[in-house]
Amino acid sequence: MQIKRRDFLKLSMAAGATAVLSSCGGTKEPAMNALAAKGAGGKIGELPGEWKASTCQGCTCWCPVEIFVQDGRAVKVQGNRYSKQNDGKVCPRGHLSLQQVYDPDRVKVPMKRTNPKKGRGIDPGFVPISWDEAFNTIADQMMALRKAGEPEKYMLLRGRYTYMRDLIYDAVTKIFGSPNNISHSSLCAEAENFGAYYTEGIWGYRDYDIDNSKYVLVWGCDPVSSNRMVPAMIKRLGDVLDRATVAVVDPKLNNTGAKAQEWLPLLPGTDGALALAIAHVILSEGLWFKEFVGDFKDGKNLFKVGATVDETAFLEKETHGVVRWWNLAVKDMTPAKAAEITKVPVEQIIRVARGMAAAAPNVAVWMGPGAAMQVRGGYSAMAVNALNGLVGSVDNVGGTLPSNKVPAKKMPELGAYQDDLAKKHSKLKKIDQRGTKAYPALNEGKSGGGSMANNVATGILAADPYDIKVAVGYMNNFVFSCSGAERWEKAMEKIPFFVHITTNAAEMTQYADIVLPGAHAKFEKLCWVKQKQNRYAQCTLLQPVIEPLWQVINDETDFPWMLGEKFAERGFPNLIDYLKKEFKDPETGKMATNAKEFTEYAVKYYTQDMWNGKSKGGDKIAGWEEFKKRGMWNSDAQPYKSRWGGKFGKDVEKDGKKTTTGTVSHKFEFYSETLKKALEGHAGKHKTTVDDILSTCNYIVQGEQAFVPHYEPPFRHGSKEEYPFTFIDYKSRLNHEGRSQNSPWYYEFKHVDPGDVGHQDVLKINPADAGKLGLKDGDAIRVTSVAGSIECTIHLWEGIQPGTVAKAFGQGHWAYGRTASKDFAKGKPRGGNNNTLMPFDTERLSGANVRNGGFTGVKIERL
Amino acid sequence: MTQYAMVIDLRKCVGCGSCALACKTENNTALRKNGQTHNWADYIHETTGKFPDTKYRTLPVLCNHCSKAPCVEACPVEPKAMFKTAEGITMHNDERCIGCRACQEACPYSMSEVKKDGAYGQYSVISYNDEGAPTHPFFTDKTELIKGCTTSGAELAAKTGALPPDKTAYRHPDYEAVRRDNIVEKCIFCDHRLKNGELPYCVSACPSGARAVGDINDPASEVAKQLKQHKHFVLKPDGGTKPNVYYIREYAAR
Repeated sequence: MQIKRRDFLKLSMAAGATAVLSSCGGTKEPAMNALAAKGAGGKIGELPGEWKASTCQGCTCWCPVEIFVQDGRAVKVQGNRYSKQNDGKVCPRGHLSLQQVYDPDRVKVPMKRTNPKKGRGIDPGFVPISWDEAFNTIADQMMALRKAGEPEKYMLLRGRYTYMRDLIYDAVTKIFGSPNNISHSSLCAEAENFGAYYTEGIWGYRDYDIDNSKYVLVWGCDPVSSNRMVPAMIKRLGDVLDRATVAVVDPKLNNTGAKAQEWLPLLPGTDGALALAIAHVILSEGLWFKEFVGDFKDGKNLFKVGATVDETAFLEKETHGVVRWWNLAVKDMTPAKAAEITKVPVEQIIRVARGMAAAAPNVAVWMGPGAAMQVRGGYSAMAVNALNGLVGSVDNVGGTLPSNKVPAKKMPELGAYQDDLAKKHSKLKKIDQRGTKAYPALNEGKSGGGSMANNVATGILAADPYDIKVAVGYMNNFVFSCSGAERWEKAMEKIPFFVHITTNAAEMTQYADIVLPGAHAKFEKLCWVKQKQNRYAQCTLLQPVIEPLWQVINDETDFPWMLGEKFAERGFPNLIDYLKKEFKDPETGKMATNAKEFTEYAVKYYTQDMWNGKSKGGDKIAGWEEFKKRGMWNSDAQPYKSRWGGKFGKDVEKDGKKTTTGTVSHKFEFYSETLKKALEGHAGKHKTTVDDILSTCNYIVQGEQAFVPHYEPPFRHGSKEEYPFTFIDYKSRLNHEGRSQNSPWYYEFKHVDPGDVGHQDVLKINPADAGKLGLKDGDAIRVTSVAGSIECTIHLWEGIQPGTVAKAFGQGHWAYGRTASKDFAKGKPRGGNNNTLMPFDTERLSGANVRNGGFTGVKIERL
Repeated sequence: MTQYAMVIDLRKCVGCGSCALACKTENNTALRKNGQTHNWADYIHETTGKFPDTKYRTLPVLCNHCSKAPCVEACPVEPKAMFKTAEGITMHNDERCIGCRACQEACPYSMSEVKKDGAYGQYSVISYNDEGAPTHPFFTDKTELIKGCTTSGAELAAKTGALPPDKTAYRHPDYEAVRRDNIVEKCIFCDHRLKNGELPYCVSACPSGARAVGDINDPASEVAKQLKQHKHFVLKPDGGTKPNVYYIREYAAR
């Protein structure tokens, strides 16, 4: 039932009240609120202020938002009233961010290290320095590398970014002459993209047409808490439950699972078996969506348990290889067999499969990182996404969708600004070892195409392929956010000169030689991002809605500019020339004379087609000023069936070279010709076989099965005998990735994560298991894995299955601030970091950092 | 007679935390200290059943604006600091409050000391600001984590000219946007917004649209219609207080 705001307002009792829709998603112009405090002759109400548009980067939804500013202060947050992604609403992260911009531990001046010794708990002896001294030092250190002919020994580590990333990530690094621009991307989701690419040809996250779904199968994530549609899904879940079925696959009870009709608590890492069993039911019962998959030529279903089927008997439509997939991986995975492997009851597997098929094609199989970010997760990600193919929901009403286009400009060519040294050295091998035999990282089919952020530590420690001498990191904290976190402490100790651009003195900052106070992206930075939710792509601005309280730096634009100026003083003007000449104001043609102008011109350059009247679809915006005021642009709704008719892949010929984007067969692939080509390409590069590559990458199967979604038993670090519990890591709905833990509200409301307790960092355990260990609720415990130990609190909870234990990622900071850490000066953590427990491991085919799939065994002791 | 009430649709609610956080940003409430939560909106969470038949729900809680409000009854001040408005809101006048905490004692939804939180079903809709203590000590603290390099709460307050720095400034004849010491505080249904035709901030901020406010005695109101259509319950129905926060529908669909 819809609660109509206007109905209520009509009934409002206040005499002379005016309905000022300044508080939520109306479609009026942003209310200036100059006439605030209207009630009772101005004695009642909000004092004057203005809602200003920006973007939240608390998670990867990148919600267009508005911030209420009174007297130059940010005081409240809501969704952008024009947003078709979040309908003018934000999730709890939006409100929480006020404690980040006004965080008493923010770095307010550039600082330098005075203690050369680096390590956790060692005081770096930071002292304030001028901006000039900071940039002179950085430029000297970097130019020394060029002088020595080794610019590759400079590395840029990128964390959370905006689309102004091109400037610091590509321009600085490549013009300087290093191949080492490293993105954090592989830390959270590359295996998920792998699953989508090697079935439907998208290296990216799917969108979901939830308004029209009749069945939603959520797999390994919690869409009302995280993933890429949070406010939209919060708004819709209740209605979806009323008109459709929601089933949630997650080894522990999550928020969506708590409300859903079906919860399938599988054993961690057995996702592939469950997905294949669902496929088995759909195929053996003849329930697949024939308009998409096709049918047997004579209409008779030959998919019988265990039976090999003749491929020529089936005529496919939009898909490729359904029979071969059945023969290679599905025919023997009966619900009974899967029930044994997964511990999900047979009848539930059958019920869910039939329910999905009955709702076809209006089915959204929502694949999250839990299904994918496993040691052997590449194939389970494919298996889960293959279900979308079977029920024909790909690009379909109520199903999964690719993103509509955001007509942003591409980065201007920079080749002309690279000297010979830069040209040569920026093509050297990267420090993360991507594309080596053991790390295929097959982004979009290319060996070594993907980033392997967490392997950078390995490269640094082994000085392989060489040593890193100068590094810059921005909006990142790999010492905290990478599994096997302690490797990063050692790696950072080894880097002779490190610059950190950051809001807070984070764990990574403790290893810095120069620290630059970063702008808070949501409140203080001008830049833009693109994203999609709910069928609509968006381009949204992050804007300085308040004046910073001290000088801060826009990491992605100010830093390159200021560095460029210093390089020019040292006889290397290439970088500043590129920035000046290639990013002229698109309206006036003026060249920037300072960092602030440059930032604005660059944002205008990239976004111009959304406000200069040239964009054919989407919102019509009359000029830059209006774009800044609105803060965002919506695309048209993503059309359905855009890739049906053999458009899941496309061959392109460029410079006489043929390549394919998307799937090789141009169809939705159950038998992945695309993966076959990629694996054979990687094997060929290393003069070996695909089977050898698979073994090297910790996979078990050999032969043809490597090219279809199939089941691989979970890989686990630590024996069951020594480490009896399987650890489950997941994201708190209050996490701004790792950045909200210095906010007191985070702890106050931590109990909004099911099974969690406020002001504690709890490991959830089933009461039966706790009983066996003699543990009482609230006991202080030590949790140990092969990688390390943490201390936290035990909480008994029935939402977790026996044999497994779960803890939300987020706490365990030993730096970052007074609230986040227990003792900042001594490097003592508050709670425990899951990344200390989880060892470093990789889903090697995608390059993804492993977080899920039950790969960490732990033991628990009372303290 | 007008009686303002809130209806919370549990099927829509996902327990996300937005309403309680939004309330803190609107009403500038303090951080938990000395057993006082200072959360005008909060949650209790209930887990029932055994794995795998586990059930879980979140109940958002706030002042029930009871028709027979024991907090009003208990207020010893004349005229009362805790009183009912013509719209049925249980209102608090900051100026008249003497900080005796009789209201907190009398309220069945409040505790004089909250040791745990919603995970254990504990909350308090009335909180007390200690005598002689600053409301926001987090932002009066002068400690710098890295001397001369990082800021401090006090510096943020000084530079922004507000305490807390993210203070939403508003006016109301009965209450201040930030409480002084030695008075109690609680949800007042954002009367400073209602009086201007705006919804209470928790209602407008709720991303699921689970909350509605209106006159329950007006059959045409949304809240009255919802209660007519759905089975509903209140917290502690047997207390004789006639609470006016209603819950409709089941949180879970299984």
